[in-house]
Amino acid sequence: MAYVGNLKEKPVITGVGCTKFGSVLTTPEIKGLGFQELVCTAAFEAMDDSGIDPKDIDAFYIGSMLSHSSHLYSHNTQMADWLGLHLKPAIHFATACSTTNTGAGLAAMSIASGKFRNVLVIGCDILSSAATDNPTIRKPTDPTTLWYWTDFGVDQAYGYHHAYDVATAYGGLPTLGYAKKHHIKMSKMDEAMREIHRTVKLHASRNKKAYVQTTFEQDAKKAGFKDDAEFWTSRKNPFLAWPARARSVLNTVDGASAYIISSESQAKQFCDKEPISIEGFHWSASNYPWYGKDPTDWAIDNTTFETAMKMAGITAKDIDYLSVHDCMQIYHLIESEICGYFKKGEAWKAVMEGRTRYDGDKPMNTSGGKHGKGHAFSASAGADFYEAVKQMRGEAKGRQIKDAPEVSVVHNHGYGMHSAVTVLKR
Amino acid sequence: MESMVTRFYKAVSNGKIYGVKCRKCGHFTFPPKAGCMKCGAHDMEWKLISGEGKLQFFSSGNLPPMKFAKYHPYAYGAVELKEGPCFFTCIEGLDVSNVEALEAQNAKMPMKVKAKIKRMADLDIVIFKVEK
Repeated sequence: MAYVGNLKEKPVITGVGCTKFGSVLTTPEIKGLGFQELVCTAAFEAMDDSGIDPKDIDAFYIGSMLSHSSHLYSHNTQMADWLGLHLKPAIHFATACSTTNTGAGLAAMSIASGKFRNVLVIGCDILSSAATDNPTIRKPTDPTTLWYWTDFGVDQAYGYHHAYDVATAYGGLPTLGYAKKHHIKMSKMDEAMREIHRTVKLHASRNKKAYVQTTFEQDAKKAGFKDDAEFWTSRKNPFLAWPARARSVLNTVDGASAYIISSESQAKQFCDKEPISIEGFHWSASNYPWYGKDPTDWAIDNTTFETAMKMAGITAKDIDYLSVHDCMQIYHLIESEICGYFKKGEAWKAVMEGRTRYDGDKPMNTSGGKHGKGHAFSASAGADFYEAVKQMRGEAKGRQIKDAPEVSVVHNHGYGMHSAVTVLKR
Repeated sequence: MESMVTRFYKAVSNGKIYGVKCRKCGHFTFPPKAGCMKCGAHDMEWKLISGEGKLQFFSSGNLPPMKFAKYHPYAYGAVELKEGPCFFTCIEGLDVSNVEALEAQNAKMPMKVKAKIKRMADLDIVIFKVEK
C-alpha cells in the first residue's frame, strides 16, 4: 500500500471550463483558433463559472504535451498576460494524457499547504495541425507524424525500438486478455465492444462540446446498413489490432480545458455554485510495458485507485459516477473492475445490459469519452473533470444522471504509462 | 557511468543478449536498467539471458510506427522470459494473415519461443521465434 497522506485544508473545485473538442482547421466553434486562444476560451469559462475575480487567482498551472505541434515551451510565461495573470506564479507541467487529472492533486496540495488560496489548472493540445514560423498559418498533421511525436512517450531506450505496436499493446492484447480471463467467446467479446461503442456514441451525441455528434445507429444507417450489428463487423470498421476494432479507439482532436481549485473558506466568498471537493488522489508511474503476462492486471491502476479511495475514505460501493481513461474502449471493462465498480468478470455483462449509460444504474464516461468527446491529450482529463462537475451539479443537460452523483471517481492514463485517480465529492 | 543502452545494443550486435540482476534482492530486469524495479537498489550485475521464453499473447496492429511500417504486417507479442520479466517485441513463425489464424494460434498459448537477434529499422534488436 502506498503512503496515503492527507490534506490540511479542504480544496474544492469552484469553476470549470472546456472548449468544443474538434479540429481548429474545420470545426466551426474553434476554427482558426491557436493555442493561446483555446487556453483563454477554457480558462475564462472556468473563471466566469466560479464567479472569482481574476485578481484573486494566486497561481496557474498549465499542462501541454506536444511541443511539436504547439511550437511552445514556457507555456506558463507565454500565457501569463493572455490570461490576465501577469506576474502571477505559474508553471508548465505534464504527465501526458493524465496531465489535467494530475493537476488537480498538485493544486489541491498547494491549497492545503496554505501557500495559495485559488489555483487555475489548464490543459491544451492541438493535434490536427502544427504551428509554423508564421503565427497565422498551421500545417495539417498526418497520423503517422502525430504518432511519431506521441511515441516519444514510450520507452525510447528499448521498447519503442523493439517493433513497438501501439494498437496491439494498448487495444488488442488487453481485449484478448479480458476475453480469455473471463472465458468469453471472441464473437461475444466483439458484441460487448460494440455495446460499449453504442453507449460512447449515445453520450457524445448528447454533448454539444463533443467531437462526435452522431449515434452508432445513425452512422450505420448513413453507411447504408439496416442492421448496426452488420455495420460493426463490416469492412467499414476494420480491426486496428485484432480483436480491437477502429471504432473502439480514440479520436485525436484539438481542445483546452480548465478548472479553478480554491480553499473551502475562499469558495464561500465568491462561488454561488455547489463546491465540489477533492477528497483523495494518487498517481503512479511505470515505464512501458506496464503489464506482464496478464494484459488486464495493471499494478499502476490498482495502486492509484486503492490509495486515492483510501485517502477519500470511500469504498467502491460509494462511487455514483465513474470516469475512466478510454483511449481504448476495453478500458471501460478493465478499469471499472480494478476499482471495484463492477465485480471481476461482470463489467462486460453490465455494458451489454446498458447499465453504464447516463440513464443506467452504473453510469460511466457520460461525455462520450476519448472516442466520442475526443482526445486532446493534456486537455482530456480536464474535460473529464468538467463532465463530472456538471453531472454532480445537475447541469449535464440532455445526458444528466437521474440522481446527481454525490461521489465521482475520475481516472486517467498518461502515455507511457502514468495513472492518475481523483475522488470528487459534493 | 558507462552507457548501459550502448553496451546492450553493442552486445546484441555481437550475438549476446544481456539483462541485469540486482545484487541486493536478486530481481532480474530485462532489458538492462540502472535501478532495481523491485527493491530500488542500484547495484546491478550484467547477466546473459537464456533466450528461453513463453509467448503469452500476440496480435498484429495496423498502425505501426513510421520506422517499422515496411515490416507490416508483423506479429507483436508479450514474452515471459525464463528469468521472469515480460518483454514485448516482434515474434517470428506466426501467421498474421487473417483473424481466424490469429484466434487459433492465440488459443494455443502459452507457446515456447526462443530469442533471436534480427536487424530491423537499422538496429540489431531482440525478437523471438516460435519453437517448432
